[in-house]
Amino acid sequence: MNLSIKQLFGRKPKSSNIAKQRLKLVITQDRVDVDDRFMTRLHHELAEVLAKYFEFSANSVKMNLKQEGNSYILVADFPYTKFHDMSMRR
Amino acid sequence: MGKVIVVTSGKGGVGKTTSTANLGTALALLGKSVVLVDADVGLRNLDIVMGLESRVVYTSMDVIEKQCELNKALVRDRRVDGLMLLAASQKNNKDDMQPEQMKAICDKLRTTYDFTLVDSPAGIERGFRNASAGADEAIVVTTPDVSAIRDADRIIGLLQNVEIEPINLVINRFSPQLVGNGSMMDQADVLDILNIDLIGVVPEDSAVITSTNRGIPLVYEDGSPGAQAYMRIARRLTGQRIPIPDLEQKGLFSNILNWFTKKR
Repeated sequence: MNLSIKQLFGRKPKSSNIAKQRLKLVITQDRVDVDDRFMTRLHHELAEVLAKYFEFSANSVKMNLKQEGNSYILVADFPYTKFHDMSMRR
Repeated sequence: MGKVIVVTSGKGGVGKTTSTANLGTALALLGKSVVLVDADVGLRNLDIVMGLESRVVYTSMDVIEKQCELNKALVRDRRVDGLMLLAASQKNNKDDMQPEQMKAICDKLRTTYDFTLVDSPAGIERGFRNASAGADEAIVVTTPDVSAIRDADRIIGLLQNVEIEPINLVINRFSPQLVGNGSMMDQADVLDILNIDLIGVVPEDSAVITSTNRGIPLVYEDGSPGAQAYMRIARRLTGQRIPIPDLEQKGLFSNILNWFTKKR
């Protein structure tokens, strides 16, 4: 917003603003750029919890980080064959 | 029980050693007992910045290898009461030290001294892990430029992973003129990106160079803007509540505007 108003008046955007915008983008990226070990651990722990509720084969699971605009989304596919009836457990 | 604070940054050359030397001296001038620990094994510099290089006999590596007692390895700074230095070994490298060994040293120092400041090497590898192993709190030093801030963010993430808290930010080499004309990010910009608590802003000050040349920390001569900034940070570290002044130098027009609008 700030930038476009200034551009209307024909002024160059301040380089400090450019630095801030560029940094914000790259740091968001750095923060989600998690390593494989982290993803494997997350995968195992999620599978452990979900196994209480669903039946699924471990090799059908897919986990990915997706970028949409400026935000990042964790997408996890756990295709299940059936769910455990929790009411039976009690 | 004292506090162990690691001074770190990720990127090199932003002023970790200068900040450690000045904050440690400032704390001692305020009457606290302080040990400065150089954790930059193989590339030690805290001794020369402090002007104590000719008096170093033993290093932290000698303590670890049980060549001498911890107390004997500390160099006493004779210019002020209660200020000590534990130098790093220059002939070893960072892999010769284990994080647990550094932690053991910090644990001992904590029982005797109010403040143990650990000067971390640049980087995120072993040297950084050694330096932060015994720390309760952290001071992250950055300059207001893209590479230093990006690296600071990385370091903050690593410190948060090992639950070091609080993590306080020092913005160093801040230029009021450049901020005033929009060529440098101001403190609000930096905080918006890094999202941790600010403990002080140190203006760019040529007196830092001359004081380093002489081996006399800036805070001994309290006239310079840099010395005043470090003294304020030291007071905040002791728990005093001192506001952080706005160092930005505005243009003539906004100065005139401020004259009329600001409650002074």
